[in-house]
Amino acid sequence: MVGKYLKTTALALALGGWAGMAGAADPSLDLVGPLSDYKIYVAENTGKLVEDVTAFTAAVKAGELDKAKSLFAPTRTSYEKIEPIAELFSDLDSSIDARADDFEKAEQDPEFTGFHRIEYGLWHEGSTDGLGEYADKLLADVQTLNDRINALTFPPEVVVGGAAVLMEEVAATKISGEEDRYSRTDLWDFDANFEGAEKIYTLLRPMVAADAEFTSKVDGNFKAVADVLSKYRTPEGGFVSYEELTDTDRNVLSAKVNTLAEDLATLRGKLGLG
Amino acid sequence: MTTPSKGIYLAILGAAALAVAGGAAFWYASQQKPQTVADQLVIVDAATCQPATITIPGGRRSFEIVNASDRPIEWEILDGVMVVAERENIAPGFRATLQVALQPGEYDITCGLLSNPRGKLTVTASDEATAAASEVTLRKFLGPLSEYRVYLVMQGNAAVKCAQTLRDAIAAGDLDAARDAWRQARLPYRRIEPLAYRISDLKNAIDPSAAYLAGREDDPAFTGYHRIEYGLFSQNSTDGLQPVADKLLTDLEQLAARLKALPLDPALLTALPGDMTSQLAQARVPQGENPYAGNDLQDFAASLEGIAKLSGLLRQVVASVDPGLDQGIAQDLQAAQDGVAALQSKHRSYGDVPPAARQALATDLTNLADSLGKLQPVIGIN
Repeated sequence: MVGKYLKTTALALALGGWAGMAGAADPSLDLVGPLSDYKIYVAENTGKLVEDVTAFTAAVKAGELDKAKSLFAPTRTSYEKIEPIAELFSDLDSSIDARADDFEKAEQDPEFTGFHRIEYGLWHEGSTDGLGEYADKLLADVQTLNDRINALTFPPEVVVGGAAVLMEEVAATKISGEEDRYSRTDLWDFDANFEGAEKIYTLLRPMVAADAEFTSKVDGNFKAVADVLSKYRTPEGGFVSYEELTDTDRNVLSAKVNTLAEDLATLRGKLGLG
Repeated sequence: MTTPSKGIYLAILGAAALAVAGGAAFWYASQQKPQTVADQLVIVDAATCQPATITIPGGRRSFEIVNASDRPIEWEILDGVMVVAERENIAPGFRATLQVALQPGEYDITCGLLSNPRGKLTVTASDEATAAASEVTLRKFLGPLSEYRVYLVMQGNAAVKCAQTLRDAIAAGDLDAARDAWRQARLPYRRIEPLAYRISDLKNAIDPSAAYLAGREDDPAFTGYHRIEYGLFSQNSTDGLQPVADKLLTDLEQLAARLKALPLDPALLTALPGDMTSQLAQARVPQGENPYAGNDLQDFAASLEGIAKLSGLLRQVVASVDPGLDQGIAQDLQAAQDGVAALQSKHRSYGDVPPAARQALATDLTNLADSLGKLQPVIGIN
């Protein structure tokens, strides 16, 4: 435990302390292309999120337990891909994606809502009973999120820093399997988090391609992660339960994700947005 | 099998010592009031921030956050619901630093559990904050330029989609559906016209007026939106319009691709809304532009949406540099939008709008163009 905390805190210090001072260059107008392409990517995902949450919450409200359970993980992926932007809105991030242990009374806390509250009902309580109001709120919240994101001018440093933020979150609070604790669908979330981080990196990659050592290292680590995750894919396009992840593979993922977080954290400095 | 070596015992002893040291460090961090080199130290315990009320001068400030609770926390500075800055995943007993550029104002700070009460951060005026606010940098334009490119792509795609609907209605020979589709098809084009009209080869194919062509409606160069308008609203037929609609669709697809690839820069962005507004004021509002359909007011409203998008993005840059100009643009834009809305409520066709009313709207637009024209000297960079 202490070792894990040491690692993440060292990382947090590295991100907060050094990245800010590493302003190697002024930002370039070349960032406009990647930044706007990223917003289009996010907008496509929030559009999909609204569509998927509509179907998911309809199943919950219709009392279709099995269907609701099967839609839970795929519905979350469009949120997980765009978390660096979604979590700019603190009220919605709390009501859509907070976990029980963010609240004083945990699962019994009246403020505990959103995906994980519904997940708790579907898996832990094995029923859709009483989930109707959470379903309504979740749908309203993702619609508001979609509107707010469409109206938002994305802060460049949040986009560029977002790749590292996603990886840091996976390393610190997801690889342990605490995100989707009732459904054990964590691997879906990991995959979406990696895709979201890789999207940002891929868009910015031409601007840092001169540093071949950097790009080949990051490319290799993304590939290594994809290779591990591919072992756990199901024929239907999803993922097996998180419990099937072997310790060896968890360690590989953990190591890669930490390295990715550290490397991607240098993007802001490299691109003059420190 | 041999008995465990002395080395193993030493290793176990060492590990135990490390564990004790780790525990001691944890205890120390949670019990002591640590020193800090940051501008502000914040200790987050199980229930609150210490201090929970902070006042700090504006500018680039550093915070050192100590997690004295027994669970990982994130610490955020909030402006309303928006996260201004955050430091995530601070483990129990550890500390993290956060650097953030702060403008004067009232902010909330989070303190551990979502159910814990938030603290208050008051940022006061300072020379450093004033200097940072008034400085115009390329970095401040990156967000607005990117957002405008998104708008160009979205509206460019919408223009293509609307032109497909128009072409399909014409192909089906459905006059009423084609007229509705034509009115809708103009709107996305008008929104992005501030940049689209600068691409002159496409503009001459997409949006020529018969009034400017030697052979007027019979001129072979009379193509695009207004040629279709002439057929649908003056000749009251879809006959012969299909090739024109096909060509319009192809031209708009090209336009969307060219707009997407066009490099944007601060000088261009700054010039676009004022230029478009002047054009409206000087020519289109006095004379009208859709002589056969008469729905000019609907077009003007869409033009103003495009101008409002650009103005809103530039206001993000100018707001802290020249608040008076920022407010002036907002008021003039509102007046012009109100002017169009008032005429829309009174007149079905622009042909019924008398010259004096057109002149009044043109004056509102001239005022707006004048305000937008002041942007270049205030935030212009090259």
